[in-house]
Amino acid sequence: MTTESTNRQKSNAFRLLAPGVVWMILFLVAPIMMIVYVSFWTQTTFSINSTLTLESWKNFFGSEAYVGALWTTIRLWLIVLAMTFLIGYPAALYVGLLVKSKTVSTILLVLCVIPFWTSFLIRVLAWRPMLGKEGAINIILQKFGLIDSPIEVLLFSELSVIIGMTQIYVVFMVGPIAFMLGRIDRNIIEAARDLGAGFGRIFWKIIFPLSLPGVVVGAIFVSVMVLGEFATSGALSGRKVNLLGNIIVTQVGSLKWAMASVVGVILTILLGIVVAGFLRIVDLKREI
Amino acid sequence: MESKVLKPMLGVYVGLFILFLYGPFIVLGILSFQQGPEGGPQFPIIEWSTYWYKHLFGLTPPSRIAPLPVGEALIRSLVLAFMTMVTSTVLGVMAAQAFRKRFRGAGLVFYLIVLGMMVPGVLTGLGTSLLANNVVGIERHWWSTAFLAHVVYTFPFAFLVMLAILNRFDGSVEEASWSLGVSPIRTFRKVTFPLIFPGVLSAMLFAFTLSFDEFPRTLFASGRDQTLPLAIYGTFSVEIHPNIFAFGVMTTLFSFALLSVYGILMALSVRRAKKVAMQEDIS
Repeated sequence: MTTESTNRQKSNAFRLLAPGVVWMILFLVAPIMMIVYVSFWTQTTFSINSTLTLESWKNFFGSEAYVGALWTTIRLWLIVLAMTFLIGYPAALYVGLLVKSKTVSTILLVLCVIPFWTSFLIRVLAWRPMLGKEGAINIILQKFGLIDSPIEVLLFSELSVIIGMTQIYVVFMVGPIAFMLGRIDRNIIEAARDLGAGFGRIFWKIIFPLSLPGVVVGAIFVSVMVLGEFATSGALSGRKVNLLGNIIVTQVGSLKWAMASVVGVILTILLGIVVAGFLRIVDLKREI
Repeated sequence: MESKVLKPMLGVYVGLFILFLYGPFIVLGILSFQQGPEGGPQFPIIEWSTYWYKHLFGLTPPSRIAPLPVGEALIRSLVLAFMTMVTSTVLGVMAAQAFRKRFRGAGLVFYLIVLGMMVPGVLTGLGTSLLANNVVGIERHWWSTAFLAHVVYTFPFAFLVMLAILNRFDGSVEEASWSLGVSPIRTFRKVTFPLIFPGVLSAMLFAFTLSFDEFPRTLFASGRDQTLPLAIYGTFSVEIHPNIFAFGVMTTLFSFALLSVYGILMALSVRRAKKVAMQEDIS
């Protein structure tokens, strides 16, 4: 290839990329930098000015409520992550690997995705009549005589937040895992079976390792969404569960931008550690 | 063998799993037919009625329950989703086109774009508001600041969809067109674009639906006029009535209508592609 045409292609690529790159720098990178910057601003009751101070940071780490929210966020994230994995993996295993027919597998996947065509907030809200004292679950359990009095802990508790988030986000775990399982060469499994390996052995030695990139992608999806959550915890816990996201919303609501920014930076750092950690387990670039 | 037992067991499990996914939605659908206006958003159903659907459209006599402020919010959300769809699809197609050739810094640019879907919405929204308030000094609106934040979110999706499509794309047809002296722009319009059209359609669908339902970014970045998700969020803090459930059913039906249009367009474009391929086989 001549240098001239290479040059032309280079400037072509540049022209094609420039708008998107500029957009992301101006409206994504700059806003995040701004959050870091504002977290050091001086906050007074009614206004905020750009004199730099560590006051908001001290306030955050000096307050039990704020630090508590950090731990609640981490705890809930770990629980929801584990739940989406434990509930999602068997479903993905069936859909991605055990169903022989491509059509059935596609239909099942589509069935899993359909609930996502309802507004996210209404999906959150729909858990209220499910879990309440006179909710569907309690009514059904009582009808079958499994319980005498309604289970009250189902709604407005940490449990309701976990149930809600698991249902809302589990599909993001199922999808990538089913995709990776679908790509496994069935001949490998046949060969292992012919050599006398049982299903458990085949699963741990072949299927699970090959599905690991899917698990990691799913875990990243779920983590990103759960760590930034505030609507589900707000609506289903009756304000009993405060996540970092809830604090940001409350602080912005009372125009405490500096404190909101501090929490924003902490959330960013937390997320950065989590995603970097997952990417260490599996080299995604090599897998895809 | 164990898998003889395992497979039917997992089959039953998947059935339960799908019930888990649909449970809340079934309950929501049932409760949307609650009697009005006294019937609450919980069981039992006092009497089946379509009261809350009529309430939604303002067809019921006035009661103490305020109608959902969805009319204008719906239009705003549709316009915003449309703007977001067009912008992010154009950006996505352009960026993915650039990625067909290797260039220095490709990894960095890739992560920069993908970052948009990785950063929690609440942070994008917060940062955008801070910039608008304190640096640029403009008022926030759904069509300005919220729009910028929405594209940050949907552009990566459009980009990834187009990247997947273009990875499987045979460049020789384009080269043939260029060597016949057709200009690059005309080649893109007449050759490349029809071939990548299914991808473009998927990218558009993604961008539209993600933006239409986008909430955390919009909450901070949209200023005083509400979009649809914000109108729904507003009901969270007050007493909930089954009108919100009726509305949930309606939006789902709307989504399905949209999905059907997508399906039809997709089927048409696949059929056309097949026809072209057949003609080529004959000649």
